[in-house]
Amino acid sequence: MIPTDPERRAAFHAGQRAILQSLPGSAAWGLVSGVAMVKGGLAVPWAIMMSLLVYAGSAQLAALPLIAAGMPLWVIVATGLITNLRFVIYSAALRPYFAAEPLRKRAALGFFMTDFTFTLFMRSAQDGTLPERHRDAWFAGVCTNNWITWQVCAITGIVAASYVPTDWGLEFTGTLALVALVGPSLNARPALVGALVAGVVALLAHGLPYRLGLFVAAIAGIVAATLADSWSAPRAPQESGAAP
Amino acid sequence: MSAPVAGIALAVAIVGLALSTFVTRTSFLLAGARARLNHRIETALRYAPVCTLTAIIVPDVFMHVHDTADFSPLNPRLIGVLASALWLAWSRNILGCLALGMSAYSLARLFL
Repeated sequence: MIPTDPERRAAFHAGQRAILQSLPGSAAWGLVSGVAMVKGGLAVPWAIMMSLLVYAGSAQLAALPLIAAGMPLWVIVATGLITNLRFVIYSAALRPYFAAEPLRKRAALGFFMTDFTFTLFMRSAQDGTLPERHRDAWFAGVCTNNWITWQVCAITGIVAASYVPTDWGLEFTGTLALVALVGPSLNARPALVGALVAGVVALLAHGLPYRLGLFVAAIAGIVAATLADSWSAPRAPQESGAAP
Repeated sequence: MSAPVAGIALAVAIVGLALSTFVTRTSFLLAGARARLNHRIETALRYAPVCTLTAIIVPDVFMHVHDTADFSPLNPRLIGVLASALWLAWSRNILGCLALGMSAYSLARLFL
């Protein structure tokens, strides 16, 4: 998996370093989701299989009670699709950066993309810290570290479920890691407007099942930010940070 | 699972869930050059990270307890996020942000 070409290898390692400080967030969420799998009634080997194959905490936790209740397959697949709708937005945002890559690589980068890795990629693209070349290798480095961390902690949580304290609020580390990722982006009015609208809509729509509220809030926020952008900077020059 | 779903049925359910995750994550990436969106939409997507993450964070902070809203200034999660935000205002060090936020959150839970 680690590229052999020196330049690509450097980009891969730079990606690995870029996510290093956010890894405690992934670790906490992985651990807590592993524990929840087992407490939800899944036997250890199945929980490990689910963690490795699905690699999506919120979808796993949403589907678990349905699987336990013996719901038909289409219900489980539909639940997975709805819970994961935000990934369609992420995929659309990443598309221009990787459209020239071969199909297999795009499939792999998509499989390993998460809230953390996607946000880190986009932020780095916007603040200019993304390398000019070998962005696929850089993103692979980010995703590799995140995947290893998540899986090690999830499997630890699965195997040692009864020893992990569930009342310390460990999972809040994941929320704070997202705050650290998103905070520095809130330095301009459109982003602030988008965040404000997304936050309010997320609260109002929190009652919707399967994280639909999150999807609706994200769309509302993106629309609001774009409107704020076109009002605050009439005919500004084209974004230089945009995709190639 | 008191009436354990196991064996083939469980394996199929897990693979189904894996496929539904894979399909959403790779949707536009796999479509590649064929799925070019209108320029306005594609530039709008640069706000996707800020908006989605905020939409994850805000309910995590205010509706954490039994899905009822807690807007009290003594909400430990709010105190944790504010501590983290203060840290971020003068440092980009994420580990420090996590440590300070978790400390403030834990202390608030213990003492408030």
